[in-house]
Amino acid sequence: MRLKRWLLLAPLLLTVFLLQSYFWVPTYEKQATGNPKRLVTYIEGSIGDAKVLNPILNADSASSNIVGHVFEGLLDLDENLNLRGRLATKWTLSEKAYLFVSPSNRFPDGTEVSGPRLVNRIRSALQRASFSVLAENVKGMEVVPPTSLTQKIPIQEKGEDGKPKRGEVEITFNMPERVAFSLHQVDQDFFARLMPVIGDRYLENFPYEKFVQFPDGITPEIKAQVRAQLSGIFPVAEHNPIIEFSLRKGVRFHDGHEFDAGDVKFTYEAIMNPNNLSPRTSDFEPIKFVKILDSHKVQVVYKRLFSPAINAWMMGILPEHLLNKKAMQQEMERRELSDAAREAFGMRDSQFNRHPVGSGSYRFVEWQSDEFIHLERFETYWEGPAEYHDFFMRIIPDFFTQEVEFHAGAVDDYSAQPHQVARYKQDAQYQNFSSLGFGYTYIGYNNRRPLLSDPEVRRALGMAINVEEFIKYLLYGEGERITGPYPKNTQWNDPSVAPLPYDPEGAKAILLKLGWETNADGWLEKDGKIFEFNLITNNGNPIRKNIMIIAQNAWKKIGVKCNTQVFEWAVFLKDFVNTAQFDAVVLGWGMGVDPDLFQLWHSSEAGPQQLNFVGYNNPKADDLIVRIRQEYDVARQRDMAHQLHEQIYEDQPYTFLYAPLETKVLDKKIVLVHRGEDGQETYEKIYPTKTGNISYYFKKWRKLEMTPNF
Amino acid sequence: MLAYIGRNIALRVVLLFIVSVLIHGLIHLAPGEPSAVDPSNPRMKPQDIAKIRAAFHLDDPLYLQYVYWVRDLARGELKSFKDNQPVLGKIWRRFLNSLPLFICSTLIVWTLAFPVGIQAAIRRGAVFDRSSTLVAYALISFPGFFLSYIMILGVVEVFHVPVIGLRTFGMEGATGAFQFMDRVWHLVLPSLLGALGGIAILSRYVRSQMLEVVSQDYVRTAKAKGLHQDVVIYRHALRNALLPFITMFGLLIPGLVGGSVIFETIFAWPGLGLLGYEAILSRDFPVILTLNVFGAMLTLLGTLVSDVLYGVADPRIRLE
Repeated sequence: MRLKRWLLLAPLLLTVFLLQSYFWVPTYEKQATGNPKRLVTYIEGSIGDAKVLNPILNADSASSNIVGHVFEGLLDLDENLNLRGRLATKWTLSEKAYLFVSPSNRFPDGTEVSGPRLVNRIRSALQRASFSVLAENVKGMEVVPPTSLTQKIPIQEKGEDGKPKRGEVEITFNMPERVAFSLHQVDQDFFARLMPVIGDRYLENFPYEKFVQFPDGITPEIKAQVRAQLSGIFPVAEHNPIIEFSLRKGVRFHDGHEFDAGDVKFTYEAIMNPNNLSPRTSDFEPIKFVKILDSHKVQVVYKRLFSPAINAWMMGILPEHLLNKKAMQQEMERRELSDAAREAFGMRDSQFNRHPVGSGSYRFVEWQSDEFIHLERFETYWEGPAEYHDFFMRIIPDFFTQEVEFHAGAVDDYSAQPHQVARYKQDAQYQNFSSLGFGYTYIGYNNRRPLLSDPEVRRALGMAINVEEFIKYLLYGEGERITGPYPKNTQWNDPSVAPLPYDPEGAKAILLKLGWETNADGWLEKDGKIFEFNLITNNGNPIRKNIMIIAQNAWKKIGVKCNTQVFEWAVFLKDFVNTAQFDAVVLGWGMGVDPDLFQLWHSSEAGPQQLNFVGYNNPKADDLIVRIRQEYDVARQRDMAHQLHEQIYEDQPYTFLYAPLETKVLDKKIVLVHRGEDGQETYEKIYPTKTGNISYYFKKWRKLEMTPNF
Repeated sequence: MLAYIGRNIALRVVLLFIVSVLIHGLIHLAPGEPSAVDPSNPRMKPQDIAKIRAAFHLDDPLYLQYVYWVRDLARGELKSFKDNQPVLGKIWRRFLNSLPLFICSTLIVWTLAFPVGIQAAIRRGAVFDRSSTLVAYALISFPGFFLSYIMILGVVEVFHVPVIGLRTFGMEGATGAFQFMDRVWHLVLPSLLGALGGIAILSRYVRSQMLEVVSQDYVRTAKAKGLHQDVVIYRHALRNALLPFITMFGLLIPGLVGGSVIFETIFAWPGLGLLGYEAILSRDFPVILTLNVFGAMLTLLGTLVSDVLYGVADPRIRLE
């Protein structure tokens, strides 16, 4: 009976056919089965897909990962977190400083101020021994004749509905005669050093109203708004730090076009172009202008002293020839866009963001949404091609799947959770790394609350908590104690500051000295009030929630009553943090590599929606913070950063808890490859840099067929 | 016949319009905003959000948004909110990915369910019948996603081979045969797991259908004629038992869109189900809407196909 036979045979054949395919699939041990290229392919698992592959537009971690491989900046950080030249070979710092010739002032001896007189007096002063520091730094000075500038000033006006509305008004400013100084080095105290010559009060009382012209029909109210801003926009004494980059010659973009100074200037202009809505605008806002000196030399002139601004040049450089007006026009023609679409067309709409062309060590090949992004090594990369031929970022939006694929050998790297790392440590197949990143977790106290405003009280609260416990039980050991606001692996952190001791008795003694006595119920009490406050954090972070509970318990032991609550992130920010309506919070920061702490700790940043939401306010710290961001000398910056670290530690505005370690698990077959001059390969076990960067030598990584013995 | 088909198509187009309007309304009734204009995203400035909202027509009245959707879809210019890619191209690529899974799964269901169901019917009350009934009910009641996780863990830990996705990653360099077999291997688990429920249910149907037919007079007559048992079962009984399944075949088609959301998600299979799931999470209205209308279209097409097939297979039915 044929039908019967087929009915039985069909499922059998189908099953056999499906199951035999197992023998064709590479297993973990033999990943190169039928596919030798697997050994030179690196596959990274990512939870989310990239959004925009453009260095000036991307804002998510998946996109920045890919952009980091495809594009290259002028600078990056070396293994000690110092700046290192990439597309730039050399960079020099100098300064141009300007001083108004202020007609309302007189010299200390009563003579009237004029341009030539000012220059002469300074020149002769520089001859004196007491001005030798200044004299060494001054390259030259000249009088700049008066000019007239037309500029738009932002204002707030009343809209038709009576609500305040942003607007701008165009004014003419008759810039007075100025003296321009060329300095060898940036010196934030330059004008202070000049004071003995020009008079202590020279910088004050400049009569701005005599130099400004308003167009007709401006209300006195608006005029007052403009006048209030003039001294900020046209300062009497202005510092213009200058960075001159020498660019690497012979570097090519992946399409073969040569990289030059025009690309740098174009990238800067693209960021500042409001149509492109770049999230990097604030990093480049301090720049006054970018000037091309020759095809491989660019000069960047800054509006004011702001030393961290140089870090912005680590951002990838765009190829001008693919994104300039002409290229955009061609793209619009090619895509046959409607007139309405052309009107709104900007860099965000360009196909470039899905097919990027950069000058980095990997070139873009393919992007399948929600599946993978494929990169291929750039054979003619200026530093030599990378060891891995292909790089894949696989999008696996699920932790379980990521782990399973890692076990099966279809992913080389994924962000393993601390508990998974603890498991991998037992397995001889893998090598694993834990190293410091730039983040930390803390308990922040609202310094404005009378109960918590005393540094001694905050110190006592910190001493009652056993941070080692958090690290051991919440992080499986994947964390380190911290003492202050700087990442431990940067030079700004002062390693001599000792962490608060775990000493509940000592904490109690401090509080007793301040008048807090234990009452009949076991709570601390002063003037009839018990020591009670609220500790809150955001939902969705189990570790923070646990910290909260452990801290609550620790404080209970010394008689401090703490009520805890968890809020959904948006509510947490809107109703509590942004409005400073909280007593204490558990939160974390991800820091940068620069020593600028202005946004987090300066007292001017303690308003609503600002980041100094704990309201830390210490004039000494404020002064250090400002001086650090205006200082261009690294050694001096470091000294001041250490002082600031100590000051903040003294004040304990936060209880600094720990910095979580970043972890990475890799197959032991992945090694560092060194090539000798004769092409001979030697292998070395992968190691992180001193500052904790595990992937720093990624370009030299490769997978071997067998597990090597080191 | 042709007139019947024509009339039915016209009717179904009207139905499709009504369905699309309903879906459109439903999607916009659901809470949440497209992820691109999510106001709680700290990186977005209010004016940027306003600009994007305007580009997406999100502030226009609902009926206008519907008109824009139809217009863009007809012109083929409809773009996803999420990545600005043309929706139709996206759906087509995902459709091609879902297709092998669908075919393989269907093949497994139909080839396995029939022998099992027939045997169970023939040996009614015997050990095979009872055990297949037990297994079938166990499979129907056991949550498929849980079984999938167990299977994935088991296979990966024991055999150390990849099972997730539609192929082993990084296999582009391999020769054709390896690549093909690798794809087949990746079909095995998801299609098998997706098929289990189907096998259980369909084999039950086959069994009851066979039982009904076997007790018919003409089967008794065939047996009385002295025909071989196999001839009676497979020639006389089976053909008549098959009739209802022809209609089921047409109804399988919409399963292409919604049938595998769970398994595609677990196995990270970039098919239509996963596309729809992700689109819903990010409130990608154009994709959700188009996909749902696509699903509705397939359902309507399926019913039409089964009606027609029925008419073709069963001489007692005439379509007019």
